[in-house]
This record gives sequence, structure tokens and C-alpha cells, in this order.
Amino acid sequence: MSDRVLLIEDDRELGAQIVATLHKAGFGVTWWTEGRVPDPATIDLLIVDLMLPGMYGLDILKALRATSDTPALVLSARNDTSDKIRALKLGADDYMTKPFWPEELVERVRARLRRPTLARNDVIEVGPLRIGLAERQVWVGERTVELTRAEFDLLATLARRPGAAVTRAALVDAAIDADRDGAERTLDVHVSRLRKKLGDAGMIQTVWGVGYRLAGSAPA
Amino acid sequence: MNLRLRLLLTTVAVAVPLVAGLVWLDARSRHRAAEEALARLTRERFERPEAQARCEADPLAWGAPRPPGAEHGPGGGARPGPPPHGPSGPPPGLPRAAPPRFFAYDRALTARDPAAPRVDRAAAAALTEGAWAAIDRATFDDRVEVLVRSPWPDGPCAYVLVRGSTPRGFIGAILPATELWLAPLAATLIAVLVAVGPVVGRIRRLTADVRRSAAGGFVDAPTVGGADEVRQLGDAFVAASAEVRRQLAARDDRERALREYLANTTHDVMIPLTVLTQHLASLRAGVRTREPGELDEVVARAMDEAHYLAALIHNLSVAARVDVAEPRLERAAIDLNALVARVVARHRPVAAERGIELDSGVPEQAVVVNADLTLLEQAVSNVVYNAIRYNRRGGHVAVVLDRVLDRADGQFVLRVLDDGPGIPPPDLGSLIRRGFRSDAARTRTTGGHGGHGIGLHITHTVAKLHAYQLVFKNREPSGLEVELTGPLSPPAAATA
Repeated sequence: MSDRVLLIEDDRELGAQIVATLHKAGFGVTWWTEGRVPDPATIDLLIVDLMLPGMYGLDILKALRATSDTPALVLSARNDTSDKIRALKLGADDYMTKPFWPEELVERVRARLRRPTLARNDVIEVGPLRIGLAERQVWVGERTVELTRAEFDLLATLARRPGAAVTRAALVDAAIDADRDGAERTLDVHVSRLRKKLGDAGMIQTVWGVGYRLAGSAPA
Repeated sequence: MNLRLRLLLTTVAVAVPLVAGLVWLDARSRHRAAEEALARLTRERFERPEAQARCEADPLAWGAPRPPGAEHGPGGGARPGPPPHGPSGPPPGLPRAAPPRFFAYDRALTARDPAAPRVDRAAAAALTEGAWAAIDRATFDDRVEVLVRSPWPDGPCAYVLVRGSTPRGFIGAILPATELWLAPLAATLIAVLVAVGPVVGRIRRLTADVRRSAAGGFVDAPTVGGADEVRQLGDAFVAASAEVRRQLAARDDRERALREYLANTTHDVMIPLTVLTQHLASLRAGVRTREPGELDEVVARAMDEAHYLAALIHNLSVAARVDVAEPRLERAAIDLNALVARVVARHRPVAAERGIELDSGVPEQAVVVNADLTLLEQAVSNVVYNAIRYNRRGGHVAVVLDRVLDRADGQFVLRVLDDGPGIPPPDLGSLIRRGFRSDAARTRTTGGHGGHGIGLHITHTVAKLHAYQLVFKNREPSGLEVELTGPLSPPAAATA
């Protein structure tokens, strides 16, 4: 079942555009043009404008937060610090300042609806890759992969946030003993060996300027 | 009501009750003195030889007034007696009191003298032998009556009512008997009115001066001489009018600056809007005539202009907050990871349209700083947008956030890297200068760095306001790296 998004936006033109964008991206959208408090049981995400006829956006947010944790994304045409801070303090998960691109909206909505990674603390699964954190074992499909300590730590660090680029500094911190193994350049050597051992070169991607990313779900 | 009339009325309002009170007190004193004198006179009369026999034999004759000299009335006589108004008697030449007359009553308060006034039994019953009571009389009536109980209760002379009068005249007990004492009072009143005259005149002149000064836009300050409070008032007006002139000048400056700002802003907004309009017009015309590839190019440029326009308006609104005499930060604990995600999401569609890869890397744990959310987000956004705009197709832009814990409280380092053409070293230092009004700022051609305008200036200003360090440096083999460094927020929950 597609995620159910409730949009509360009083501008007809903008509302229609947002509805079309979200439909196209595969979301089920309900659109209200007046402010009132939604039933949290019927929605997976709320997108709410701040200036609304009927009920102010922040009041809707406050009422929603009294009973539910449904993610909420606030839209605002006023680029005003106190509005945003108040919205975030009242429990908004994110905000977007108008104008925004349709792709930007879809990305923010997806980020809010993304389910947390399978949260078994000791095992991470990304695609064909399975990492046993407790026994420090890695499998690609059914094949066991033998990794050095540094290679394993590198892979585990990347796998904790699949799809997100991890900075070189963070990888060095997590996996490399700077005293023994030397500078950051060692990192590339480790990654190169790791790629070879995993066999699928596309799984660990180089991210220009940042570091590396383990291909997984959509980038955060 | 003007000052002089007010002063006159106030003086009169104080003086009249004061004089009336004194006169009343004087009258009361004269009555009291006369009553005591009459009572004493009566008792003396009781003690004379054969007083009882003479009274009881002929009460009328006993009580009739004596010719002057033969009897001492309360008003005087040569013999030292009890005068009604004091032990020393009235000064010579002053009007004297009428001679006293005695009326005798028996125990039932019946008098043989038909002229005797009626007496209240209750008042008489309360008296002991020799005691006396004043018969109530109006304060301003001359007549004084005192009832005395005699030592002979069984005859027709059980009680004696003695009637006399206060000395003739209006006052004289505690106030001087002549009205001369009114003269200083009147003189004081006149002196007050005379003294206040010049003060009133100077205040009127000052009022006229202030009105004239106000009518002329506070250019001529009011002038007033002297060394008193009126002069101080004048000086205060001079200081106030100087302040008013200063405020008016500041207002004029602000209005001029606002007009200029609006004119410049309009210009800056209208140019991309015009370009956008042109792109839309060519799209409409090209839908039928042009090749799809050409249309793509027009759409990409139109998107670019719209994006630029949005960034410009955000920057103008931030400039209105930070380019003021005393900018105010609305600091809160904010999550830099989320901020980077928002900035990257905002620019990713335009980066994709330009064929530029935009990526970001942030630490796993939230990096929390205490900053103004809108300002910092716009500052970072400007650097990222700049890196995209001046890059080439196929180029890269990376936003990297790291936490550095080598200092006591820790620092964040936010780096924006690109592999564009970089900046000629001599221009690195002037990047942050507000080139907003320069011709170079108008030339928004990609590939050159002529378009660095309000954006990096805002970034610089915001960094300075937050006391963050902002460093620009060229990368090898090409590209620019912008590094923003600042302290982490003390441990507390992030709100943003």
C-alpha cells in the first residue's frame, strides 16, 4: 500500500501541483485547503502550510503532536527563523521554504517516510550483503568473505548508513589506526582490497570530495 | 486658566478660610472670657453683706444694672475686676461691654421679673452650688448669658441668670482689635502677583519661540535668558530640538537608503525575471518550431533563472536583517546534519539540470551548533549554490561536515568543495566584498567568477556575526574550497 500523505495548503494552484507531484512519485495524497486537525490513524505523513484559513499550521501541528508521532513537514513562504524554530520545537520533523522544486519535495517526503534500517543490532543486511557485527563475519549471498580488522570496520561503518556518503575522516576514525597505518591514503588501499574481496565493485561507491558510500536505498 | 489667575485663586482659596477660622476662634475666645467674668461677678455678688436678704426682699432691684462706677460690668470699671476679655481689661478707647443684669429664680426656676428669660430645667439641675453654665448663644451674637446656682436654695434667689455682652466690635480677643493685621496679608498677595508677572512673561516668550522653532522644522533653537528654572526649561527645549533634528536627519537617511535599496532590489529581481520571461516566451514559440533538444536547453535555463531568483530574494531578506546597524541573531540549538540535507536537497534539482554531481557527507551523530537557523542555512546555501553555478557540466560539488574534537568543547568544520575553475589568487580576498552593485555582479555568465555578488557577502557577514571562521582557498588541480569553522553547541537537545 502506498504511503498516505495529507497536504494542507490553501493555495489552489500550488496545492494542485504538489498533489500531482506526489501522485506521480507514488504517494496517495489527500488535500485539504482549510486548517483543521487530522486523524493521525488515517495518514502516514502530514505536509502543512503555516498560514491557513481556519486553523494556523503551528496549532494543527501542536494538536497532532498531542496524540501522535506522525511525521510532519512544514511549508512556509516566510523565511523566518522564529517560525521555523517554533515549528521544530512543536514537533515538526522538517520544513521547506517556498519556492521549492518538485524533486526537492519528493526527496524530503521520502526522507521522512524512510523506515529505519532493519534494526537487529547484531546483523545488517544491504542488498546481497550480510554483516554479522557480533561475530565480525561478512557474507555476500551464501559466500563467506574473509576481511581484515580494518576492512571489516570500514564495511560496518558504511553499512550502518546504506546509501549515505560517509566522510573520509569518519571512515579513518572508525577503521584505521592512524599511528600504525599512517595517513588517510591508506584508506583508499583498504577500500580497494575490500571491493576486490566483495567481488561486486559497484557496491562501494566513491563519492567525490566526501568519501565512500555503500549502495543501498535512496541517498539520504 | 492662565498662571496668574490660577495663582490668585489659589492664594484666595488659602487665605479666606484661614482668616475666617481666626475670626471664629477670636469670637469664641471673647464669649468664653465674658462668660467667666460674668460667673465670677455673680459669685462676688453672692458674698456681699446681706446679699441674700436683699435679693430675697426685692429680686428685681437686686438684679437691675447699676450706673457706671457703682457696679462693675464685665466690660470694665476702674476697680480691678474680672474683665470679659482678659485680666488687663480692654485698652482705653475701645468699645466696652454693656453693664450686666441679674435675674433671680426660685428652685422651680420661676422668676418674679417678667423680663427674665426662660431657663432649661435640665441645665439647672446639673449645677452644684456656686457652679455656672453658659446658656448657649450663637458665637457671633454679642449677648452672653450665664446661669449660676446661689448658696440660698430655698428662696426666690435659688438660681441667678446673669446677662451681659461681649465688648462691642468684631474682634479683639486673640487678633489685634484693629484690622491692621489684614495689611500684610494683602501685601503678600499683591507681592506674589507682582513677582509672578515677569516669570509669566518669560514663559510666554519661550512658548512663542518653541512654536516658531517647531514651525520651522526645529532649525532655530528657542532662546531664553536668565539663570532660573525658565532658563533650564529653555535649555531642555534646545536639547530636545537638537535630538529631534538628529532623528529627522536619521529618518531622512533611512528613507533615502530604503528608496535606493528598493530601486536596486527591483533592478536585481527584474533582470532574472525578464530572462525567465524570455525563456518562457521562447518555450511557447519553440514548442512547435524547435527541436526537442533545443527546448531542453531553454527549460534548463529557465529553471536556472527561477532558482537564482529564489536565492536572490532569500538573500535580500537576509540582507535586510544583517545589513543594519545592530543585527540581532535568533540563536537556537540547530542540527547541522539536517541543515546540510536541506541545502543539498534544495540545490540538487538545479545541479542535476546542469549535469553537476552534488553530494554530502555528515557524521552519524547530529552536529549541534547554537546559531540563527535562517541565516546559517542561507550562508551555507549561498556557498553551495555558488559552487554549482560556477562549475562546468560533469563537475562535482561536495558538502562535507566533520566534528573536530581536539579542542575543549569541540568544533564543526563544514567544507564545500568543487572542481570548477577556482578563483584567481589575487581575487580570493575580495570574494566576500559586496560586489552586489558592481557591474561584475550583473554579469552572471557561467565559467567566470564575475557573478559573486550578494551571496558570499551574506555568507561572510553571517559567519562574522556568529564568530565563525570562513576561509576560501583554491584546490589542486582546480576548484574552490570554502571552509566554515565554529564551536559546537554545549551538549543539549537539538531543536532543528
